[in-house]
Amino acid sequence: MTPDDLYAILLGLYPGSFRARFGDDMRATFAQDRAQAHAAGRRSTAAFWVRTIVEAAMCGTSERFQLATRHDRASARGTGRVMRAGFFHDCRDAFRAWRATPLVSAVAVVSLALGIGANTALFSILNGLVLKPLAVRQPDTLALLDGGEWTNPIWEDIRARQTDLFGGAFAWSSERFNLADQGPTDMVSGAYASGEMFDVLGVHAAVGRLLRSGDDVRGGGAAGAVAVISERLWRERFDASPAAIGRRLSVNGIPFTIVGVMPQGFFGPDVGTLFDVIVPLGDEALIHGAESMLPGRLTWWLEIMVRRKPGQSLEQANAVLRAAQPQIRAATLPPTYRPSLQEYLKQPFSLVSAAEGYSSLRQRYEQPLTIIMVVVGAVLLIACANIASLLLARSIARRRELVIRLALGASRLRLATLLLLESGMLACAGAALGLFAARVGSALLVRQLGAAVFLDLPLDLRVLAFTGAVAAVTALLFGLAPVAGILNTAPNEILKEHARTVTGDRRFSFRNALVVLQVALSLALVVGAGLFLRTFASLTTLPLGFDAAPLVTVNVNVQRSGVPAAGRAALFERFRETATAVPGVSEAAMSSIQPMSGQGWNTIIDADGAPAGGDRARQSWVNAVSPRFFATYGIRLVAGRDFSPDDREGAPSVAIVNDAFARKFVGGGNPVGREFRGRIGKPTTDTYRVVGLVSDAAYRRIREGMVPTVYLPISQTRSSAAMAMTVRTLPAMRGTIESDLARALGTVDGSAAFTIRPFDTYLETAVRQERLVAMLSGFFGALALALAALGLYGVTTYGVSRRRAEIGVRIALGAEPSGVVRLVLWRVGWLVGTGVTAGMALSWWASRFISDTLLYGVTSHDTPTLLAAAAVLICISAVAAWLPARRASRLDPVLVLRET
Amino acid sequence: MDMSAPLATVPLQILLVLSDGPVHGYGILQGVREHSGGAIKLGTGSLYRHLSKLIGAGLVAELRPGPSADPRRGSSFRLTAKGGQTLAAERDRVEALLASLNAATRRVRRGSV
Repeated sequence: MTPDDLYAILLGLYPGSFRARFGDDMRATFAQDRAQAHAAGRRSTAAFWVRTIVEAAMCGTSERFQLATRHDRASARGTGRVMRAGFFHDCRDAFRAWRATPLVSAVAVVSLALGIGANTALFSILNGLVLKPLAVRQPDTLALLDGGEWTNPIWEDIRARQTDLFGGAFAWSSERFNLADQGPTDMVSGAYASGEMFDVLGVHAAVGRLLRSGDDVRGGGAAGAVAVISERLWRERFDASPAAIGRRLSVNGIPFTIVGVMPQGFFGPDVGTLFDVIVPLGDEALIHGAESMLPGRLTWWLEIMVRRKPGQSLEQANAVLRAAQPQIRAATLPPTYRPSLQEYLKQPFSLVSAAEGYSSLRQRYEQPLTIIMVVVGAVLLIACANIASLLLARSIARRRELVIRLALGASRLRLATLLLLESGMLACAGAALGLFAARVGSALLVRQLGAAVFLDLPLDLRVLAFTGAVAAVTALLFGLAPVAGILNTAPNEILKEHARTVTGDRRFSFRNALVVLQVALSLALVVGAGLFLRTFASLTTLPLGFDAAPLVTVNVNVQRSGVPAAGRAALFERFRETATAVPGVSEAAMSSIQPMSGQGWNTIIDADGAPAGGDRARQSWVNAVSPRFFATYGIRLVAGRDFSPDDREGAPSVAIVNDAFARKFVGGGNPVGREFRGRIGKPTTDTYRVVGLVSDAAYRRIREGMVPTVYLPISQTRSSAAMAMTVRTLPAMRGTIESDLARALGTVDGSAAFTIRPFDTYLETAVRQERLVAMLSGFFGALALALAALGLYGVTTYGVSRRRAEIGVRIALGAEPSGVVRLVLWRVGWLVGTGVTAGMALSWWASRFISDTLLYGVTSHDTPTLLAAAAVLICISAVAAWLPARRASRLDPVLVLRET
Repeated sequence: MDMSAPLATVPLQILLVLSDGPVHGYGILQGVREHSGGAIKLGTGSLYRHLSKLIGAGLVAELRPGPSADPRRGSSFRLTAKGGQTLAAERDRVEALLASLNAATRRVRRGSV
C-alpha cells in the first residue's frame, strides 16, 4: 500500500461529484506536498499525515453536508437525501458530544489506541513472520525439503534431477561474512546460494545482474568469484551508486566482484533475515579452502527448496522425490562403514509447502508471539470494559437530555443509533491512533528479537483488515452498554428529580458484571506473567559451572594467514601467549568450541562402564582445549592434572572428562587412569587415557544443563581455521581491554580476523526468547492490573454515590466510620471474590495451552503462582476500593440529607 | 460566495497568489504558505474546497493542461477578469478602512473623543 493509495482511499470521503472534478488534481498536488514533508524528516511526515487525515475527514464530510443541504433546499423531502443530511448532522453532534467532555474523551481514545495499537503491532509481526507469502513469483508453488539440513552431495544429486522431478530447485545456507580486509571483523548477514536460486524464485536484479548457474561452479565460475548485494548494503556502503557494479568486495578475505544488486522488496527465502551478500555455493570452496563443506557427505548445512511443476500437486511432488530417494541415497552414501549409517536417509523425504518461506525465527517465536497476542487481546478486553463503564456513566449523566429527546419524538432506535455512532467515532479515532502506535511498537519489538533480525512489516490489507475488525468489535462491545442502558430506562423515573432511594443497587448490574470480568481476566494475565517471570528467573540463576562475568571471547580466524593446517596449533598458541601478556588479562585459553555459542561437537563413546543401549545412550560432547582452559573459566580441577605442552601430537592420546561423564560412563568413581575408546575428530578409533577430572560446566544451552563432556588437547586434534579464545580479566575492565587485545593480537599475525565480544552476549542470546516473553507478559500483566484497579475504583465510587442517602442516614444514626468502610468493602468484596474465583478457573483452563517448552522450573499448573496472583489481586482491589470507601465514611450526613 | 462581505483570509491569499499568473495546485499551496509566513496551514483538501467555491463564484478558472504538460503537476488555475476586479475592490475597501482608521487614531491622540 503506497501513500498515494492511502490518499486515494481518503478521497472517498469527498462526494463523488467533487472527486470526479478535482480527484486527479488533488492526487497530484498531494504527491508533491507529501514529498516535501517527507524530505523534512520523520516528525514532519507524521504531522503531515495527521493533518491530512483530519483535514480529509472534516472537509470531506463538510462538503457532503453542504451538498446534502443544498439538495434538501432544492428538492422536496426525498427521504434518502434527508437521511444523508441527518447522518452528517449526527456525526457533527457526536463530535460535539465528545468535545464537551475532553478529559473523558482523551482518556478513552488513548486507552483504546494503546489497546488496539498493541494488538495491531503483534498481529503485524505475526503477519510478517508467519502469514505473509514470500515476495517472489508464485510463492504457493514453492516447497521446502523438510526435516533439517542437507549435505552438498545430496543437493548436487537433486540438482541433476531437478528438471525431471520438479519445475526447478535451489539450495542455500545462511552464513555471516566478514567484509573487512584484515583486523577486526565487519560481519554481515549473508548466504551461499545455488546459481539457479534467483531464476527459480523469479527475482530480477535492481541493478546489474543476479547469480546464474554458470557462476555456481566449485572454485569459481567463468566470471570468477562474483557476489550480489542487498539493496540495503548498496545504499549504506555504496551510496546507491551504479558504480558499485564491478567493484571489489572482500568476503572473508577473498576478493569477490559485485555483479548486481537485489531488488528492494526481496529479502531472501529465509524469513527473519536479510541477506546482505549472496555468494554462489561453489565459491564456498574459495572461502573455506581445505575445510570446504562441499564434498562432506556427513556435513549437514544446506536448505533445499523446490518449485512444483505447473499442475503438479504437493503429493505428486513428494511421490516422485521419494521414488528417486533410493538412487539419491546410493549415490551419496558416505564411504566409511558404520552401523549407524543404516539410518542414513532412511526417513522418507518430505516436501512441505513453503509459500511463506522458511524461517528458523518462526519456529522459535511463533508460539510465544501467539501467547502474547492472546495476552494483549485480554488487555484490550479489560480496557473495553473500562470504556464501557465510562460510557455507561456518561450516558447516565446525560439521561435527562436523552429522555427529552425521547419525549420530543425520537425513536429508541434513533437514540441507539446516535449512541452507537458516538462509540463508532471513538473506535475510529482509537484505531487510527493505534495504527501509528503499532508502527512504532512493532519496530521496537522486532529489534528485541535479535540484532541481526530483519522483518518486513508492511501495512498491507491483512493488517488493515485486522485493525478494522478489532475496532469494530470494540466499538460494539462498549457501544452496546449505554445503548442497553437507554433501551431499558423508563422515562418517568429519570424525569423525577433526584429520587431519593434508600434501597441499595441491584446485585447483578451490568457494571458489576464488567468488574468481575476485568478481575478474572487480570488474574489470568498475572498468573501467566508470574509463570514466565519465574521461568526467566530460573534460567538466569541456573548455575553454569563457571563465572561468566570476567570473560571476554575472541573468535580468531587464520584462514588467510597461509599457514598450513599442521602449523596452526603453534600459531594459536602464540595468540594465546600474546593475549595472556596483555595488561589486565589474568588467563587466556583456546578452545575449538565456544561454550554457550550454540555450536556443538559430539561423539559416541565406548567404555567399560558405559550404559547399554544404542548410539544415543553413549553420546558425549567434546571440546578441544588448550592448557589453562579450566583456570580461565574457573572450572574446578577435581582430580588429576590439566593439559601440558607434553601432550602433543605423537604422544599418547589423553583426555580430561567432567563429573557428568564420569557418572555416565565410569559408574561415578574416579576416572583418572581409566581408558575409553572413541572416534573423535579422526577417521580411526583411538583409545584415550583419562588424566584429569573437572567439575561440570554448561556446554551449549542453559536448558540442557550439565552434559557429559570430553576435553581433548588442541595439539592432539586437527585444528580448523577458526578457534575460540577466551580471556579472563576483571569485570570492570571488559570494555577497555577489547582495543588492547585487538592491537596485541594484530601484531602476531596481521592477516588474521578477530571478533571480540564479552561472554555475556552469548548468555543474553541464550535467554533472549524467555526474556522477551517475561518482559512483555510482565508489562501487560501490570497494565491489566492497573486497568482492573481503575475499573474497580470507578465502580466503587459510582456505587457509593448511588447510596449516598443510605450512608448519610447510617452515619446520622451513629454508624462508625470503620463500619461504613466495612460496608462498602463488603459489597466490593463480593465482586472481587467472584472475579478471583472465575479468574483462577480461567487460568487453570488456559494453562493447558502453555507448552512446557516455554517454561522452565515451573509447570503450567503451578499452585503457588496461582495463589500468589490471587493474593496480589485481592490486595490491589482492596487499595482501589478503600479510597472511595474512606471518602464515604467521611460524608457529612447533614449535607447529604439536605440535598434536594 | 457572498460578494458583499469582505473576502475571507484563505480565498484572499489564493487570489493574491494567482494574481502573478497561472499556477498549478501545489504551487498555490506553497505560495499561500510562504505569503502568510507559515501562519496559514493549508492542506490539499481544504485548498480544493476553496478553489471549488472560487470557481463557482467565477473568480478563478481551471486551465486544462496541454498535451506536453507534466501529468504529475496537475492542472493550473488562473484568475478571471471578475477575480481581478474582486481583488481591486478588496484593495479599495481596505484602503477606505485604513483611511478611516488613521482618522480615528488622529482624533484619539488629539483627545477629541
